[in-house]
Amino acid sequence: MTALSGTSGLPVTLGRGGKVALLALTVIVLAVASVGFGSSSMSPGRVLLAIIGEGARSDTVIVWSLRMPRLLMAALSGSALALAGFVLQRATRNALAAPSVLGIVDGAAFGVMIFLFIFSNESNALTVSILWQPLAAASGALVFALAIILLAVRTGAPPLRIILYGVALGALAKAGVTLFMIDGPVHRASQAAIWLAGSVHQARWSDVSTLACVLALIVPLTMLLTRRMDQLELDEQSAAATGLPVRATQLMLFALATCLTAAAVSFSGAIGFVGLVAPHAARLAIGGRALPQAVAAALIGAAMVVAADLVVRVAFAPLEVPAGAVTAVVGAPYFLFILLRAGRVHA
Amino acid sequence: MPRYALGLGLILLTALLAAASLHLGIRYTPTGEVWRALSQGGDDQAALIVTTLRLPRTLIALVVGGALGLCGLLLQTATRNPLAEPGLLGINAGAGFAVVVLVVLTNVQSLTVIALAACLGALLCAALVFGLALSAGGMSSPAHLLLAGVTIAALFASGIQIVIVADERTMEELLFWLSGGFADRDLRLLALAAPASLVIALASWRLAPMLDALMTDDATAQSLGVPVLRTRFLVLVLAALLAGVSVAVAGPVVFIGLAAPHLARLSGRQSHGVLIPLSVLIGGVLALAADIAARFVIYPSEAPVGVLLAVIGVPTLIYLLQRKRLGAAA
Repeated sequence: MTALSGTSGLPVTLGRGGKVALLALTVIVLAVASVGFGSSSMSPGRVLLAIIGEGARSDTVIVWSLRMPRLLMAALSGSALALAGFVLQRATRNALAAPSVLGIVDGAAFGVMIFLFIFSNESNALTVSILWQPLAAASGALVFALAIILLAVRTGAPPLRIILYGVALGALAKAGVTLFMIDGPVHRASQAAIWLAGSVHQARWSDVSTLACVLALIVPLTMLLTRRMDQLELDEQSAAATGLPVRATQLMLFALATCLTAAAVSFSGAIGFVGLVAPHAARLAIGGRALPQAVAAALIGAAMVVAADLVVRVAFAPLEVPAGAVTAVVGAPYFLFILLRAGRVHA
Repeated sequence: MPRYALGLGLILLTALLAAASLHLGIRYTPTGEVWRALSQGGDDQAALIVTTLRLPRTLIALVVGGALGLCGLLLQTATRNPLAEPGLLGINAGAGFAVVVLVVLTNVQSLTVIALAACLGALLCAALVFGLALSAGGMSSPAHLLLAGVTIAALFASGIQIVIVADERTMEELLFWLSGGFADRDLRLLALAAPASLVIALASWRLAPMLDALMTDDATAQSLGVPVLRTRFLVLVLAALLAGVSVAVAGPVVFIGLAAPHLARLSGRQSHGVLIPLSVLIGGVLALAADIAARFVIYPSEAPVGVLLAVIGVPTLIYLLQRKRLGAAA
């Protein structure tokens, strides 16, 4: 992995810090572009003026009440999902672990379906405010994660069991969602379809601030645990020999990943691909200890979702394609590029 | 348990389920009529239902279920990852994308053409994934193969999603195909799929000792005299062919490929000489059971078989996993 540093295609060789800074810069550029583009485009200069409150009145309204919440929601949920995937891959020591693989996202989807099922009346309208939907999603995710942990703990919670129970319960939740989709009225199905694809176009400031508060609690905790993630890279006996309570750490990490996922998907829906691939992109591009990798994964996740949202707004307008439908289109070329580059280095 | 009891029990269960599958449906057909239809044919309604509807779907469920079970086992062994499954090679997404594009561009209705497009899409996609994996570290890093597969699968899946959002008519037409299932499929395809699957199954059975060695680590397998990279490549190609054949016949069927090998391993056996036939049988049993249940859960209409696979497979898996904790740790 360390072989990667010094092989970057840039004329100046960047250290790990430099690469993280470059990623941060990418996110900022994407953010400015994301605020600038839309049904009425504005230049980066106008965007910056509007952000500090010196721009034209209409610009300020567009930027602050329409595009900023959407941008922040995309960035926050992207980084939360990427971080969740990173934590899960470390906890289970499996390259394919991700929030959407281990049943957490499917649990949230099931929660949303139950919510839409219970609180719809005959005329297909919701009987309670849609603002409660995130709560239903979060509860679904937490309930399923709890079930996975409870089942796994009975067998001593080895990672393979967490994986198998996660996949199994996820499949069950997915089956439930499909049955509801088939059996329910059309409104419910289309409402659920938007959530299932994952979209940030309905972001509100209240959602953004809730998500930011939750992340402000969980992200520092996750970063504190990165040292333990380094120890978990060893095999289990060696990790235990370094004084790490292996099973307890793995369960703690699983719980953290669940909270991160629940927070992200309850507002923006089941955005796929980011949680699985951003951690690998960080590993291949940065390498080294878990802390810089976690930061890089979060930045890459944010960049992917912001870019995806930008693409759906610019390329598909006026069609409202959910951002989650194109995260793969945006992220795959970048990821394949670094995957192939890693192959060339190892060859 | 005596050595062959489990295998014999599964064969018996398969036969019972196959018989039930011929009898059950919207209308129950008595054994006498089923027998008459099978032995003499005839063109009254009951005979036609048995020979043209229930017999094909029974055979297709058996073959595709077995093929997917084996495919999952081969993938999990070759990549040493318990999460590997046929969909991860991008095969289902590739097939789905080929079908969606074909239907949007040419408006074909024939199921045979759609199946051929699916098979072609699946194989092209598998070739693309292999190509990427070979340039990204070759066969020596199975994780990179899986990552390439996941990425390509996600790419094609979002292609499908974009087309469907842009063109709702396609979604209506293709929902049937994209959800996968054994009913109303073209039986002629099975004439190709069944022998192909059988040959692949026999080939992988011959490879069983090498697969056992592959389950250790690469260095150990090498020192046991197994040509690791060549064997892994061969096994992955066999798995890709199995998945391609299955998706062409029945569309993307989920869960069997993932669950059947784990269920087989819960028997306590580790040797692939045993795991291969067990995975095939368990895959067939899961497919048949789900196909029968799909006829009844939202009677009189049919439920998607993927839903029933989860509803039947998950409790079985959880029950066996929980029971297993008393024995050796997995």
